[in-house]
Amino acid sequence: CVTLDVQAACQDATVTQELLKEGFHRDLLVKVELGAVEEDAGGCAVAIQTHLPPGMYVDPYELASLQQQNLTKVVVIPDVVDVEAPEYLAKDLLVLLYLEPDPQCARCFRAALPVHVRYHRPAEESEEALVVLKSPEVLLCCCANRLSAECWKPAEVEAPCSGQNVGPCQWYSIMHKPAYEELILQVPVGLRQHSSLVCVMTLLATVLCSSLILAAACKYGDFS
Amino acid sequence: AAAGRACGCCAAAWLFNPLPMAVSSRGNAEALVALLVLTTLYLVEGGHIGKAAVCYGLAVHMKIYPLTYALPIALHLQSKRGGREGAVGAGCDRKTKFTFVGYLWQLFVKIQNRNTLLFGAVSGSVLASLTVGWFYHLYGWEFLEHAYLYHLSRRDIRHNFSPYFYMLYLTAESKWSFALGLTAFLPQLLLLLIVSVAFYRDLVFCCFLHTAIFVSFNKVCTSQYFVWYLCLLPLVMPSIKMSWRRALLLLVLWFVGQGLWLTFAYFLEFKGYNTFILTWLAGLLFLFINSLIIVQIISHYHQEAQVAKKLKQQ
Repeated sequence: CVTLDVQAACQDATVTQELLKEGFHRDLLVKVELGAVEEDAGGCAVAIQTHLPPGMYVDPYELASLQQQNLTKVVVIPDVVDVEAPEYLAKDLLVLLYLEPDPQCARCFRAALPVHVRYHRPAEESEEALVVLKSPEVLLCCCANRLSAECWKPAEVEAPCSGQNVGPCQWYSIMHKPAYEELILQVPVGLRQHSSLVCVMTLLATVLCSSLILAAACKYGDFS
Repeated sequence: AAAGRACGCCAAAWLFNPLPMAVSSRGNAEALVALLVLTTLYLVEGGHIGKAAVCYGLAVHMKIYPLTYALPIALHLQSKRGGREGAVGAGCDRKTKFTFVGYLWQLFVKIQNRNTLLFGAVSGSVLASLTVGWFYHLYGWEFLEHAYLYHLSRRDIRHNFSPYFYMLYLTAESKWSFALGLTAFLPQLLLLLIVSVAFYRDLVFCCFLHTAIFVSFNKVCTSQYFVWYLCLLPLVMPSIKMSWRRALLLLVLWFVGQGLWLTFAYFLEFKGYNTFILTWLAGLLFLFINSLIIVQIISHYHQEAQVAKKLKQQ
């Protein structure tokens, strides 16, 4: 019974994510509210770690330019992203997004990440494909804070964790991660049933247009 | 004074053109490549083969597309020496394959003269020394991969102005994908060859047509490619005798074609509507409009040689 109470108390860190804008270029807005129990978390840097499915990607150059303007701070693993690859040839990405304090409420943190959707395989019937975005994991980077061991456990994260204090800094993640709803994104795809029509008409159009130019070149060109 | 004004007008068509301005400010150094291409053509016309070859090697190093100018330049160089020593072929009146092939063979033989070989050797060594001697030394394999090899294996199936984009996207994983990709090269190749042979006497006009055809029939086509032939348009404008109304109509058509495509593409990319079919159809229409403009430019092209040919035929 004691364990349950502790679990209930630790689940106060709530994470919400939503996708703004429409189409192939979106903004992922993540909000984290640390529960009342985590009073010792003052002074810790809050971050979230999320796995982007192969259907989505982030542009490292865009992020670098946002970082220069102090608007976003992100670590992407791996740091080389093929921005042109379609979804079926792309890999998962691990993204660590540092959150800023949200002025709207105490113990609230938020950040926005610009994400882009890849082209998906053409479908047989449906005009849309689905991209599923799982809920992110909350991470704390704390230096010489004493976090409740029942709620937070040390985590291995491939990102720098350092602070102004001289003491040792360490990443922590929530012990009992609650299940959140996934975000589902719809992306338009081509229809496979159009293949033959598209191929035939495209080739006919190019043959017609090239014949027009060929005829003009033969008529007005100087072949002497 | 009239010539000076014409020069000014033509220069203004490039310097104050919003399209190159917009493209250049996006971070593409197209203006640099345009400068190198224009310098190469200027030097070839002036007879300075060595300097032209150096500029040409540098241009190809910066962007691969000037490589297509090799054929018109080679044909132009052979035409400058000795004039017409023996009429070659019988033109398009006798459309027998044998005659045309014989004509091409004779051209091929004539290309191998001192000027062309000098041009080829100098530009080849400039390109080789820049690639291997300098940039490979600085950046290693990464340079070769991103500058050249990337273009061989690149598969960009996202929406763009090219009429082929939807066809390539739908067939990307099918067994026909490679064959279709190759088929897409054929109209481009054939047109470039015919246009080179038909118009090489006016080098700038030939290069303009070359690039316009190359861009319009390419498997990938974006706005920045338009700058490649827009930089040559001010030079060919004086040779094209077209009424203002016709020129304006063609210009408006060009913008309408682009605008239509951009509208459907905007709804696809930024609103998430499934406008694939409409975007593809707009791409086909844009190809037709581009072909129409090229045909109109060819048919209204008036140079002294053209006028002389017409008088001879009458």
